[in-house]
Amino acid sequence: MSQPVAEGGKTGTDPAEAVTVCTVVPNASSIIRIDHLTKIFRERNRTVTAVDDVTFEVWRGEIFGLLGPNGAGKSTLIRMLTTLLHPTSGTACVDSYDIIRAPEKIRGIIGVCPQNSTLDIELTAYDNLEFYGKLVNVDDSILDSRILELLEMAELADRAHMKVQTFSGGMRRKLEIVRAFIHHPLILFLDEPTIGLDPEARHEVWQQIAKLNEEKTTIILTTHYMDEAEKLCNRIAFVDKGRLIALDILENLKQLIPAGDLIEIGFDRMDEGILSVIRGMALINSVEIKGTRLIISAKNGSKVLPEIVAVFEKFSVPMTSISIRSPSLEDVFIHLTGKKLDDGQNQDAKPARGGIPR
Amino acid sequence: MIRGAVAIFKRDFKKFLSNPFVVIMTLMMPIMYLVIFGNAFGGTISHVPVGVVQEVPPYNDTPLFTSAAAALNHIPQKDYPKLLDVTVYTDEKKAKQDLARGLISAVIVFPSEISNDHAVRLYVDSSNSIIPALVESAVRGVLASLGAHNPVTVNKIYGDIKYIQFFGVGVIMMAIFTSTMFGGGIALIRDREAGIHEGYLVTPVKRTSIIAGIISSGTVRAFIAGFTIFLIDILITGITIQSVEVFLLVLLVILIACIGVTSLVVSFASRFSAQQEYASVVAFLNLILFMTSGAFYPVIGMPDWLRWITIINPEYYGVDALRGIILRGQGLDVIGMDLIALLIFSGAMFILGIATYRRTLE
Repeated sequence: MSQPVAEGGKTGTDPAEAVTVCTVVPNASSIIRIDHLTKIFRERNRTVTAVDDVTFEVWRGEIFGLLGPNGAGKSTLIRMLTTLLHPTSGTACVDSYDIIRAPEKIRGIIGVCPQNSTLDIELTAYDNLEFYGKLVNVDDSILDSRILELLEMAELADRAHMKVQTFSGGMRRKLEIVRAFIHHPLILFLDEPTIGLDPEARHEVWQQIAKLNEEKTTIILTTHYMDEAEKLCNRIAFVDKGRLIALDILENLKQLIPAGDLIEIGFDRMDEGILSVIRGMALINSVEIKGTRLIISAKNGSKVLPEIVAVFEKFSVPMTSISIRSPSLEDVFIHLTGKKLDDGQNQDAKPARGGIPR
Repeated sequence: MIRGAVAIFKRDFKKFLSNPFVVIMTLMMPIMYLVIFGNAFGGTISHVPVGVVQEVPPYNDTPLFTSAAAALNHIPQKDYPKLLDVTVYTDEKKAKQDLARGLISAVIVFPSEISNDHAVRLYVDSSNSIIPALVESAVRGVLASLGAHNPVTVNKIYGDIKYIQFFGVGVIMMAIFTSTMFGGGIALIRDREAGIHEGYLVTPVKRTSIIAGIISSGTVRAFIAGFTIFLIDILITGITIQSVEVFLLVLLVILIACIGVTSLVVSFASRFSAQQEYASVVAFLNLILFMTSGAFYPVIGMPDWLRWITIINPEYYGVDALRGIILRGQGLDVIGMDLIALLIFSGAMFILGIATYRRTLE
């Protein structure tokens, strides 16, 4: 009864605009075009801008990653694209259909695997697929063979007639992903496909996603796991606090931070002298303190590390740990937003089960 | 130990207070029990429609008839409206027809003169558990006050109907209602909570199809419950089914009632997101609809404001139709109105169900 009410803004639903935006040349390179999309939730006297003026395109056939911390607005964005929520303003086109004007058309060409499972765990794997197949109009004459094919693909053929509640988390996830694929959708939306899975199950899910992409399906996935985005995605969009921060292929994203390696040194106490000496050294890009760690970005990390250690010894400051690594996607994210991906501060914005992200 | 107990107490209480809707419903329930139970059962029966008719010959009204009819029409009840509404018939046959159609509850046939060998014949609708006795005592009282010592013969036109038979028919409706409310409705909300509905929403399946599917499965479940109670009624309460037509007619009424009640439940269950809120509303609805259905106690005994609820209560029409068929052996000609009312109700609820089902998550 206390569902938040979305703002009734109708900007961007101008009919003339919507029609012209979505009529598209066949074989165009983009399959989704998002234009100044905004979603504001209003609950009592609190307003939350979950998606804030986002504009980008997804290309046909790619695996597109939406990467951001919990509560960044990824799920809300997906829910608007999958016609579950109306945008407050702005438009988006999925293939040649407008998400506001032709939601039914869109539902026919997409497959969705939401963050929270929508499997009926009291039914068998086969029955779940059969039920869903009928909802998405898979022809009865091919439905049975299609189900068996999908179960084979998910390596669940031997469990076809077991209830889903006996399945592990990984098996359920794989079943749900192939279920979304039952009608060969043009676009597959996967919202946090590997959340809560163990490493082995995650690898299996990744393989499966890659396999589905080989069948010329465009895949859009959201995740807050760096490695997932790095492994799977052609292009990655960074999202934080509802805004699009960066969008590019992995290699280009990594160039957003000054080239070099990252050296992290743990300490109990710090001497200002050390900092100034290190800052003065050649090859050093930046030096900063995060809690009890000193983070140094350097052009040739392994070469400068002995010198840094020497500085510490000279000031007789003990080090508790040393690590050196090449920058990861996470470092890019920290560089762009100033915070870590799974920072705890956004926890309260996690979407409620079956409801709406607050 | 104390700390843990206090922590749990605080958490539970916080949750209780955080849902004002449930708090209000919790307080409303006993109040509603008081008001509805009290009025549905404690109400004084008044305005019972009865027919009076003068035996022929003679073809003109005798003084006994005129004064008795007038007296019956003006039986005062302290603080309440009069007991009987008398309609004067000139033709005994016509009066009995109206009785059979349920338009009046009793027919009183007066003999030509005051005498010991001319009986006052009383025909009562014995499918009602309470009214026959009231009418009989009213007739005896009026005769006594007029100094007429004629004997009174009572004819129960539907034979002896025990209260359990009267009540048993009402329980068929209750079974339909409870199985839908607590079975179907909760299942719907659980499916919603489990995200299964979110799964429907991203498929091209139409809103109408979703509602039609949910209602038809719920209808079949409710039908099984109603039919089972019907069979139990036959076995335990001793009601008799005269013919195959009667049996089929009963099934038809149960089916239509099931569609109506299921549509009602689906139309509002689809708006609830939490089981707790739904459950408190259901308990409330179950109370008000069952109590005003006439299953326990004749609707005629209820105060006017409660009778207004009866008019929009599908259970009332269901109970009335089932009693008509099972206890009074009436056919479609009499219970047709009940069926039409049930169908209108079902149709309205079906449309409401479609209109209120959210196609998005908002």
